[in-house]
Amino acid sequence: MTVAGRIFFVGGLTSFRALFYWLTPWIYVPTMLIAPLFQILLFAYIGRSAGLESDEFYLIGNALQYAAIPCLFAMAQAIGGERYQNTLSAILVSPAPRIPLFFGRSLPVVVNGAFVAAFALFTGSLILGVHLPASSLAPLLLVVLIAALSCTGLGLVNAALSLRIRENAVLSNVIFGFLLIFTGANVPLDSLPSWMSTAAQGMPFTHAIEAARQLTAGASLGDVADLLVAELLVGAIYGVAGYALLRWFEVLSRRNASLEHS
Amino acid sequence: MAAIEAERLRRTYRTHTGTIRRRAKEIEAVRGIDFRVPEGELFGLLGPNGAGKTTTIKMLITLLIPTAGTARVLGIDVVKKPQEVRKRIGYVFGGERGVYERLSGYDNLRYFAELYGVPAAEQKRRIEELLELVGLKGREHERAEGYSRGMKQRLHVARGLLHDPEVIFLDEPTIGLDPVGARDVRATIASLTAAGKTVLLTTHYMFEADTLCDRIAVITHGQIVAEGTPADLKRGVAEGTVVEVEVYGVGDETVERVRGLGGVTAVAVEEREQAQVLVVQTRPGAELTQAILGCLDGSDVGRISHREPTLEDAYVALVAR
Amino acid sequence: MRSLRFVFVSWKLQFKMIMRSPFDGIGNVIYPLFFATTAFFVFRAGSSPRTLVYASLGAAVMGMWSSVSTSAGSAMQRERWWGTLELLVAAPRHFSLILFPSTLGLATVGIYNLTATLLWGRFAFGIPLTIEHPPLFVLSIVATVLAFAGLGLLFAVSFVRFRAAWVLGNFFEYPVWLICGFLVPLSLLPTWVHPIAWVLAPTWGMNGIRESALGGTPLPDVLLCLGLGAVYVAFAVLVTNRVLDDARARGSLSLT
Repeated sequence: MTVAGRIFFVGGLTSFRALFYWLTPWIYVPTMLIAPLFQILLFAYIGRSAGLESDEFYLIGNALQYAAIPCLFAMAQAIGGERYQNTLSAILVSPAPRIPLFFGRSLPVVVNGAFVAAFALFTGSLILGVHLPASSLAPLLLVVLIAALSCTGLGLVNAALSLRIRENAVLSNVIFGFLLIFTGANVPLDSLPSWMSTAAQGMPFTHAIEAARQLTAGASLGDVADLLVAELLVGAIYGVAGYALLRWFEVLSRRNASLEHS
Repeated sequence: MAAIEAERLRRTYRTHTGTIRRRAKEIEAVRGIDFRVPEGELFGLLGPNGAGKTTTIKMLITLLIPTAGTARVLGIDVVKKPQEVRKRIGYVFGGERGVYERLSGYDNLRYFAELYGVPAAEQKRRIEELLELVGLKGREHERAEGYSRGMKQRLHVARGLLHDPEVIFLDEPTIGLDPVGARDVRATIASLTAAGKTVLLTTHYMFEADTLCDRIAVITHGQIVAEGTPADLKRGVAEGTVVEVEVYGVGDETVERVRGLGGVTAVAVEEREQAQVLVVQTRPGAELTQAILGCLDGSDVGRISHREPTLEDAYVALVAR
Repeated sequence: MRSLRFVFVSWKLQFKMIMRSPFDGIGNVIYPLFFATTAFFVFRAGSSPRTLVYASLGAAVMGMWSSVSTSAGSAMQRERWWGTLELLVAAPRHFSLILFPSTLGLATVGIYNLTATLLWGRFAFGIPLTIEHPPLFVLSIVATVLAFAGLGLLFAVSFVRFRAAWVLGNFFEYPVWLICGFLVPLSLLPTWVHPIAWVLAPTWGMNGIRESALGGTPLPDVLLCLGLGAVYVAFAVLVTNRVLDDARARGSLSLT
């Protein structure tokens, strides 16, 4: 394996383990597996209470949107967690090439995010009694993976910003909140003011959620391909922006020693 | 009635290692400790880090339940009647934690005064008195997060005395303080017994135990290895000489060789700036300088001096076993 | 009497500490507003007879619960980090009495959440704020705050035992939002859920607040809410002794 490849896979996985020593089953199961089911149920019933859309609508919207939790928080932790352990500067003075370094951190985050969303989607469908057509199952997994990729791109931006902000959990929560409202997870885009639905086009999940809904309504993968491409594009733009921010902050920190946790 | 009594106190911890295959490990922190502290005495528990001092104190102040043995404070069993004990004791520990940083020093004291049931009419007076005593007057309305380490420590001491306890437990109260700050805290501690209180102090600073304590118990590896007045302990090593040899990098086998010499009671290596000092305690009458130098053959040697043993040497000899 | 005085003084100081952490405070208020906003959009676009005022009141109480649920569990963790937990245990008062003012302070902050939600609904969505029985409205809010403090106390005490439980604190947010009738009437939930909702004080606090705002008989709800709160406190007191004995036997009080 090339050096870059090793840094990408092995480095990513090792740092994941080092920083997530606190992620025991006691925390993982309630936070990543059970909480999204409650969010799905909450909005499915709110939908029933308000007389808007169907259970399936909220199932898909929230199962995907909840992936923001692992993608945003884990990414911020994967990069910002170093700061608290003061190992970040040790890594940054290393000659490791940056792209595989930062993006290697993303890999476990994406996989985890996809798993969380997929689990929520399928378990939620069982609980709510929503029938997902068999032909849509494999395409849905693809959509889930793409959604996780895309949101991890945003997660990279969040992680970069988190290095400069002390209370970075608040930032992640705020982003989560925006994704809840704007992406069509719970409110159909045409029920939102037009400026909001326009802004939503530039956010992760919007296209993926639409694609997933169309798939369960009977569309084929080909029909939603353009949505998936749009989703990947959004994620890629955030990813690049996040990477650029991280490099910029790295340069800045060399000038004024601001990267260590004070 | 003794103020503090410990009988065959034991404390074992169970920890787990590994995440998938969890193996239980038992650590004996305190292995059978006995001592009695009469009222009005300043008793010191002296030992290196990890000796079991903090564990012992926490058992006495009801924060830890002993695995075996009994402890009594003012005749009250600490396990059977913890609330009764808590009313009458004060607890001060060293370090920067244990303070509500978002509150001012004054508010911290106000909170703990209320917590310890200091009568409302007395609170103000008592807080003012204590602020004066620990030298925080004038800074008491600033948030504690802005306090220096020494100030936080002094706030601790004030807090521990709010309810005028009869017995006061101090766990390494001068740790990390600058010399002036530490001296002030020690002066305060000395004044406590003058006022008739019983004080139990843990420390790993030998000279602190020497200057403050009426009696000392030396604790290491969970057991008391010596007990007595500072003078008693010094007597244990009073005869004999201490040879100090400045060396520049000495290996473990060399140290062992020196230790193995007849007439040597203890060897310790101290790090000092650029060099190390080999501190060799020898029995009275033994003239071992040449023999020691012989062991060091090949290493660079600097100054050699002889001196009388101090309490520090007694301590080293005791804890090295 | 001294205990009451202690609770009052301690509550004031706890509240001071909470308000002095701006990001915590702002985050705590803003986060539930996202859910409130989503709910407002959903109800506005929906076709049910339930009004936006209904949603506004429900979302307001959701915010009140947020304030307690997210922080009560981590209250113990914070005391551990600060090194003050042992000092509290070593004090000659019952530990549950010492903790209660903290959760009361958190529940009091919930009033900010309530106000923020109602104002947000008013100014961003044009939801009117008319209250039928103002004194009973205030009483309902006070009762809810007290009951939430009691439930928060039960959480906080239980979590002394489990050091990682500060993460679990968030875990109780959604379920209460779902089943206590904030935005979803109990009639829409499966029947087996109803008894669970009935023993949760938030259900009655919500009823009290809603009925005093929209018109109805809030008093029985208020009394039930307070009664349940008292039951939680009683449980917390019982749990405290066991939890502390366990912690002292294991030696886990000093750990972070």
